[in-house]
Amino acid sequence: MADLDIVGVSKKFGHTAAVSDLNINIASGEFVVILGPSGAGKTTTLRLVAGLESPDTGQVLIDGRDVTRTAPALRDVTFVFQQYSLYPHLNVYDNLAFPLRSPLRKNSEDMVKTRVLEVARMLRMEDKLQSPATKLSGGQMQRVAIGRALVRNPAVYLMDEPLSSLDAKLRNDLRLELKRIQQDTNATMLYVTHDQVEALTLATRIGVLDHGQLVQLGTPKQVYQDPSSVSVASRLGSPRINLLPREALPRLDLPDVVKTIGVRAEHMQIQLDATLASAHAVARVARIERLSDQFLVHLRLRDLGGREHALIVSAHPGHLAQPGQDVAIQILQSLSFDARDQRVRH
Amino acid sequence: MSITSPLAKRLAQATPAPIAMRMRGLSDRWIAWIFVGPTMLLLLAINIFPLIWTIKLSFTNFRANRPNAEVSGVGIDNYVSVLTDPDIWAAMQTTAHFVFWTITLQTLIGFTLAYLIDRKFRGHGFWTTLILIPMMLSPAVVGNFWAFLYQPQTGLFNAVAAFLTGVSPSSFSMLGEVSLAPWAIIIVDTWMWTPYVMLICLAGLRSIPDYIYEAAEVDRASKWRQFWSVTLPMVLPFIMLAILFRGIENFKMFDMVNLLTSGGPGSTTEVASITLKREAFEKWRTGYSSAFAIILFVAVFGLANIYVKALNHIKSR
Repeated sequence: MADLDIVGVSKKFGHTAAVSDLNINIASGEFVVILGPSGAGKTTTLRLVAGLESPDTGQVLIDGRDVTRTAPALRDVTFVFQQYSLYPHLNVYDNLAFPLRSPLRKNSEDMVKTRVLEVARMLRMEDKLQSPATKLSGGQMQRVAIGRALVRNPAVYLMDEPLSSLDAKLRNDLRLELKRIQQDTNATMLYVTHDQVEALTLATRIGVLDHGQLVQLGTPKQVYQDPSSVSVASRLGSPRINLLPREALPRLDLPDVVKTIGVRAEHMQIQLDATLASAHAVARVARIERLSDQFLVHLRLRDLGGREHALIVSAHPGHLAQPGQDVAIQILQSLSFDARDQRVRH
Repeated sequence: MSITSPLAKRLAQATPAPIAMRMRGLSDRWIAWIFVGPTMLLLLAINIFPLIWTIKLSFTNFRANRPNAEVSGVGIDNYVSVLTDPDIWAAMQTTAHFVFWTITLQTLIGFTLAYLIDRKFRGHGFWTTLILIPMMLSPAVVGNFWAFLYQPQTGLFNAVAAFLTGVSPSSFSMLGEVSLAPWAIIIVDTWMWTPYVMLICLAGLRSIPDYIYEAAEVDRASKWRQFWSVTLPMVLPFIMLAILFRGIENFKMFDMVNLLTSGGPGSTTEVASITLKREAFEKWRTGYSSAFAIILFVAVFGLANIYVKALNHIKSR
């Protein structure tokens, strides 16, 4: 367990800046999730920390030690790849034992065995130890790949979308397992994903990356409730945050710099009385989407210029409007953004 | 109208219906047979029939140069005399010697070349193409070409060997000396077919994804350990495939030997296929040579089968 500091790291591939001036300080035992769309530089960030790429500028420090020019093997990190990176000719036991058998470590075979069995138990793979790697299902393979990272007890764990190639159920199971393992071992983790559920459930802090730049870094709650820009706000939350031009909601009292208003589905209420004086807007119900625990009401909001805007409001089953009906909307909370999509705090 | 109508009718009857119309009555199964049939017939005529005919001849004293002589069955006499003939065993040993050395050299050099060329350096495409040239030449051309290279007085091979070792170029003859002739053929075969082994090994090396190496690197495996525990095991099925192809090919090696030494000097380079040709088309012992051919066929077929089983075993690990 160690802390990890990424200090002013930049990396270009040709003329494309994959990562620019990245600064992240991760304390020992923290689970930091890097979230961002594809091409945002998430994987490059991990590879830079692992030493599989070397940065153009900046430093990577593990436990205070500058490892920027150190070979991957000497950094005491593990990497779980998005693909199942098992050694195909080895069985599960030998795959798990592989990192422990490095001549750099000088482990006795007894110690290797103890450690492998321990990790196999943690991953619930004890009965599969003798199976060839190629005979495993996708979920089992990825569990072995994660296990190969766990056996070593490294300073920092690096995981590159380890769950993205699994089916939904397995993804949920493994996600919980990862969180449990991380809490049990108190490991320092840097985890990359584009899945907001993974980010929200796993992270102690989320870093949102966009076009190679860290847009925001904070606890899941901070990032969700207090996003710094439109791109961060729309990255978290399901359904996606409603983004409306200021003109669509003239009754909200906001400073002049505000150009875009973001309202989450759960921060609005629907009133069946469309003439309600305290309503912020009136919209027409387009359709109603029934999910298990909530109803999503899709609305059409007409602004003063006559343009229509789509709006999704989450409602509890009970007083439900019908499609085609006009309803009043009350906004409980909103986020304001300026012309450059940056947050305006007022 | 009354005049043209019968004419149109007659014309219609004379015009054949489109093929699709005529085939409409056929089931898919029949159409499948129509497509496969010619190939099956051809296979039967040029592969299966000669094989059966050879088996039949191998139990007789038939001689192809005396078509009118009386043919009588001799039972398994031909097989017995082939298997107890010391000359045949000498030829088999020569063949085994060739197969062993050509495969060893071609695998070692071929894999090394593939390993070196797999690093994507500048112009690796050009070098790959250059290395592949010998394999694309005709064996007849290669045989004649090397016969010139091996000329004691004027040959390039002798000149280079003389330059390097200091002996006189005309003091040795690669094709004419008992101790050198087998190596002369092994060198030519290796020169020609190493690129083929390299190509298969290269395909194997290219099939190993980068992230396996990266995982190994993060797992603290040295380059040496990466080679032994990632590269080699993952390329092994490909190497074995190359060995299988070259082994079968070289077991029946004929053209190169025939062109370079015709089995000489003496019988030092007389591989099984040369002996077979002598028995069949110089001594005209058709029955005897048929038995020999069948024995060779069973040997190659059996060895290849055992080998393929081993290959599948390795691949399924």
